[in-house]
Amino acid sequence: MDRQRAQAARTLLFVTAAGPLHALNPLTKLMAFLWTVSAAIVLPPTLTLALVVAGVVLAYVAGVGGVVPAKLVATIVPLAAALALMHGFLIVRPDEVPLGPLHVSPAGFRYAYSVVARIAAMLTASLLFVTTTHPGDVLASLDAAGVSPAVGYLIASPLLLLEPFSKRTRAIRDAQRARGMNLTGTWKARVRALPALLVPLVTLALSDLDHRAMVLESRAFGGEKRRTVLDAPPDSRGQSRFRRIVGALAVVQLAVPLLWH
Amino acid sequence: MKLPTLDARALILISAAIVIDNVVGETVYLLKIPLFLDCIGIFTVAMLAGPFAAAVAGALGIFIGGLTVQPFALPFVPVGFMIGLTAGGLARIGGFRTWWLAMISGALIGIPTTLVSVPIIVFLFGGVTGSGVDFASDYLVAVGSTLIKSVGFANLGISLIDKSLTGLIAFMIANRLPLRLSTSFRFFAHSRG
Repeated sequence: MDRQRAQAARTLLFVTAAGPLHALNPLTKLMAFLWTVSAAIVLPPTLTLALVVAGVVLAYVAGVGGVVPAKLVATIVPLAAALALMHGFLIVRPDEVPLGPLHVSPAGFRYAYSVVARIAAMLTASLLFVTTTHPGDVLASLDAAGVSPAVGYLIASPLLLLEPFSKRTRAIRDAQRARGMNLTGTWKARVRALPALLVPLVTLALSDLDHRAMVLESRAFGGEKRRTVLDAPPDSRGQSRFRRIVGALAVVQLAVPLLWH
Repeated sequence: MKLPTLDARALILISAAIVIDNVVGETVYLLKIPLFLDCIGIFTVAMLAGPFAAAVAGALGIFIGGLTVQPFALPFVPVGFMIGLTAGGLARIGGFRTWWLAMISGALIGIPTTLVSVPIIVFLFGGVTGSGVDFASDYLVAVGSTLIKSVGFANLGISLIDKSLTGLIAFMIANRLPLRLSTSFRFFAHSRG
C-alpha cells in the first residue's frame, strides 16, 4: 500500500514531506484554500500580493518550496503579459499617454496588476493544497467527516486516476510517434493525428467501466450512509473550529461587498 | 424537490468522463490545435446518464482540474455545470440521435456556456484566460470594440466550433461503445437513432 502510494505520489503534484501543512487535515487545508479564493476577490491588490508572498514563504516552511514558486511563475508570467497588453496598451482609457507609436494607460496597468495579484493568490493557495495533500487523504477525510460515499468517490476517484491516465496518454503519444505519426507538422497533420491519440485514450477510460461498477456493487458501495475509516487523517477540535470560522468568513467577506454595491 | 440519485455505474462514468476531459484537453493543447475539446466526457455522460449526471461531471471536472493542473479554472465551475445541464437536456429531447443533430446540439450548448463564462472572464480575470481565444479578444479590442463584447464574441465564435466538434466526437464515442455497456444506461435510449 505504501509502495503504491509512493508510486502515485511521484506522478501527482503531491510532494512527500514531513512539513506542518502535510500534518493538517485535508479539509482544513481545503477550507483555507476556499477562504484565499474568496479573499483574493475582495481584497485590494497590495493585500492580495501579501497573500502570495505569505503562501510562498509557507511553501518553503512546508517543504514544497521547490515546486510551488516554479509552477506559480510558469503559469502567471504569460497571463501577466496578456493582461498588460490588453489593459495597458489596447483598451482605450482617458489617462493614456503616447509612448512612441503606442498609447499606454497607467490605470490599465494598475488594473492588470490587480488581476495578476488576484490570480496569483488563488494559484498559490491551490498549489499549496495539491502539493501537501494526497488525494487518498482527501477521500479518507471526507469519509471521516460523514460525507456521502458517492460524493467522496466522485472527488477522490478522478484525482487518483488523473495522473496514471496522463502517463498512459504520454505512452500512447510516444507509441504513435514511433510509428511515424507527425505531431509537430502542419495543422492538417496535427488534426489528422488527433483521432489516433484520442480513440485509444477514451476506449481505455471506458473499457473497464462495467467491471469497476461490478466491483463497487459487490462491495455494497453506498449500502451504508456513512463509511467507517480505519486510517482517517488526524483531526482536532481546534481544526474543526478553524474550518467553521474560515468557511463562514469566506462567505461573509464575499457577500458583504456584493450586497453593499 | 428531491435530487436524482446516481448509481455505481453513473458514478464510475462521471469519474471516467472527468479524467477523459482533463487528458483530452491536455492532448489537444500539446498538439497546438486552436480548440479545447475538453467536454467530450461531459457530452458522453449527458447522452448515457442524463442532465443531472452530466451537470455533476461538468462542475466536478472543472473543480478537480482547478485543484490539480489549472488553478485559475476554479471560478468556472458554474460553466461546467451549465454545459452538462444543457447537454443532458438536449440529449433528453433527442438532440444526439444523429451526427448532424449532435453537431447542432453542440453549437447550441456553446451559447449558454458563453453567457455564463463571459462575466467570469471579464470581471474576475480582466478579459484574459491564457488561452488562444485571448488573441481574438485582443484583436477585437484593438479595433475598438468594448472589452465585454470582444470577449463575448471571441468566446462565442470558438465555442460554436469547439462544442459542435465535441458533440460529433461524443456522438461517435457513445455509439461505438459495446452494446452491453451502452444498453445498461437506460437514458441512452433518447440518443439512439
